[in-house]
Amino acid sequence: MEDNAELESFRRQWREEVSRRSKPKAPPAATPAPTAPPPTRLPPTRHEASHRNEVEEEGPPLASFDPEELAQQVGQLSVESPEDDDFARRRVTEPTSALEHFERAVEKEAEGNLGDSLSHYRKAYRLDSTVDKTYRNKHYAHVWKKTNQPAPTTTPVATHQPTEIETLPTPQLIASFAHYPIPQREPLIEGTPPPPCPISTVPSEVIVEILRHVALNDPSVFGRMALVCKRLAYHFAHEQHIWKRICQGKKFGFQGMHYDFACDLQGNPIYTLGERYTPFPRDEPMEIPKPLSSWSQVFQTLPRIRYTGVYISTVNYTRPGAADAYQNTSWNSPIHIVTYYRYLRFYPDGSVVSLLTSTEPVDVVPYFSKENVMAARTPAQKKHQRRLSDHGQSLSGAADSVPPAAMNTLKHGLPGRWHLAPPIPESDTPAEAWKPHSSTDRKPLLSDERDLIVESEGVESKYMYTMHLSLRSPTVPKAALAGPAPPNPSKNTKLSWKGFWSYNRLTDDWGEFTLRNDRAYVFRRVRGWGLD
Amino acid sequence: MSTGTITLTSSDEVDITLDRAVAERSVLIKNMLEDLGDSGEAIPIPNVNEAVLKKVIAWCEQHKNDPASANDDDDNRRKTTDIDEWDQKFMQVDQEMLFEIILAANYLDIKALLDVGCKTVANMIKGKSPEEIRKTFNIQNDFTPEEEDQIRRENEWAEDR
Repeated sequence: MEDNAELESFRRQWREEVSRRSKPKAPPAATPAPTAPPPTRLPPTRHEASHRNEVEEEGPPLASFDPEELAQQVGQLSVESPEDDDFARRRVTEPTSALEHFERAVEKEAEGNLGDSLSHYRKAYRLDSTVDKTYRNKHYAHVWKKTNQPAPTTTPVATHQPTEIETLPTPQLIASFAHYPIPQREPLIEGTPPPPCPISTVPSEVIVEILRHVALNDPSVFGRMALVCKRLAYHFAHEQHIWKRICQGKKFGFQGMHYDFACDLQGNPIYTLGERYTPFPRDEPMEIPKPLSSWSQVFQTLPRIRYTGVYISTVNYTRPGAADAYQNTSWNSPIHIVTYYRYLRFYPDGSVVSLLTSTEPVDVVPYFSKENVMAARTPAQKKHQRRLSDHGQSLSGAADSVPPAAMNTLKHGLPGRWHLAPPIPESDTPAEAWKPHSSTDRKPLLSDERDLIVESEGVESKYMYTMHLSLRSPTVPKAALAGPAPPNPSKNTKLSWKGFWSYNRLTDDWGEFTLRNDRAYVFRRVRGWGLD
Repeated sequence: MSTGTITLTSSDEVDITLDRAVAERSVLIKNMLEDLGDSGEAIPIPNVNEAVLKKVIAWCEQHKNDPASANDDDDNRRKTTDIDEWDQKFMQVDQEMLFEIILAANYLDIKALLDVGCKTVANMIKGKSPEEIRKTFNIQNDFTPEEEDQIRRENEWAEDR
């Protein structure tokens, strides 16, 4: 909140400054401040242009959708860890150095103020032609900071830093933790007895049992356990039976994946006599698939849909606007930056909800569920429910506390169903049904086992939409990979587009949507989703 | 079903008499009675003190009619951290007692009680950050900053975001 106050004061000063400057002469960069109402919160800084040279398109990930923090976070989508804070804090002083101009330019650009942004960029480059490098070093240094290499140089010989004398490769390091006890916290006040730490007295098999419960409840908490102390880090890496169990589980593992549609568009289950495919059936002895060597790798690597959050595709595109009628200089026509979002939330029963909207994540994601979409689509019923909830239990019921604005957005949500591509593509799979007849490249469509098919209702009832997506992993910058402990982000958390069609049920026609502006979906965890 | 009573002696030399059926929730005691026969002598439980033993017996009393072996099939554990109400109340003890109950359940081989104990601990961990977990259990961070960073990177994928 402190940030917001600072931001407000910056905005005020900036607006004053703009109006001051615009009085004596009509400024060339007159994207008029008064007409653009000050946004109630920052637009996402994760704008294409500001990242052009950076870590592909995904900034550092957003931690989680904690409703209280969301308001702050949405303005700082690419800011996560405390060390990045300076990126979010807006400077109040007038820029003087090249770097300051550059920063201001990025800031203006994120606000959609391309005119001012451009002039700052120009000034910055005039002062220092390599300012973009300086900027990157300042704001994105963390991307490669912790590795041994100071910069993305490709010569491995000369780059040893003296500070890190010796770094064990991670597996050995973890193995060396095997026999450490769980250490007891030191007393707060010297000389007093240390606080009781009964967990340190518990034998290994019980620790493992506790970890198993933690892991089955939420594997990411298991991951956090590994950072508590050495002993737990060891168990995290070595209790493969826990990972096997997770892999075979329904809640997070592959038992919960669908390789064929499990329900119809409305979510009613489809019953089948045949057995549904699952890669790791519980009742057979399973082997780890070949190139992999452990169950935790299986869990990491194999295509998997997450139920614990939302997939968001953020699309920014620019559109030339009409020139200002009072200015006859044609080189100063405004450019609109349009941002819209596509949301997907998957369910373990094979259903999915899809939403296309310009509403920001903060306003819609916390309420984005099948139930709420259904409620929003049937207004009469919704009102009825609302009434009821006014009197009764309104805290627990999800649909009850949805603000009207979110409800308004959610009524555009489309129910649907999904499945991953089965590993062996067969020509007679039911996948046939969705395939556009006109499409010539039938074979390669499902050839990749990372492929994902999402079918949803259309905007009009005569239409049905088919999205063909493919699971991808976030790219790790090459520079970071060079270190002894390369980052190891979650895999298969992105959904890239392969195709998007609409099917007209009445005329039996397939139409293809062009995907000119569309960006990959990125997974974001949402607190409480997919957990019991 | 065996009848009659038996006597257990806790580590602090206190004799506790209880129904044999209740005592047989403990696989250790059950096997012992089967192997040695009921001699009528008190059975020493050298690892468990009176307070904890009483607590454990109270749990066994409550659950003496449960189906013998809670099947280990994981399908029944979809909600792994679900604990029934009575057990939740039962586990509302300080952490030292909680872990002593867990240790006793482990020693006496009472699978269901061990399970409840571990679930209770797992629930205390739910949704916490590493530092919060350390605080909860008074665990010292024994990583060097470099090691911690290395582990964080290696396990980054598990955060799933």
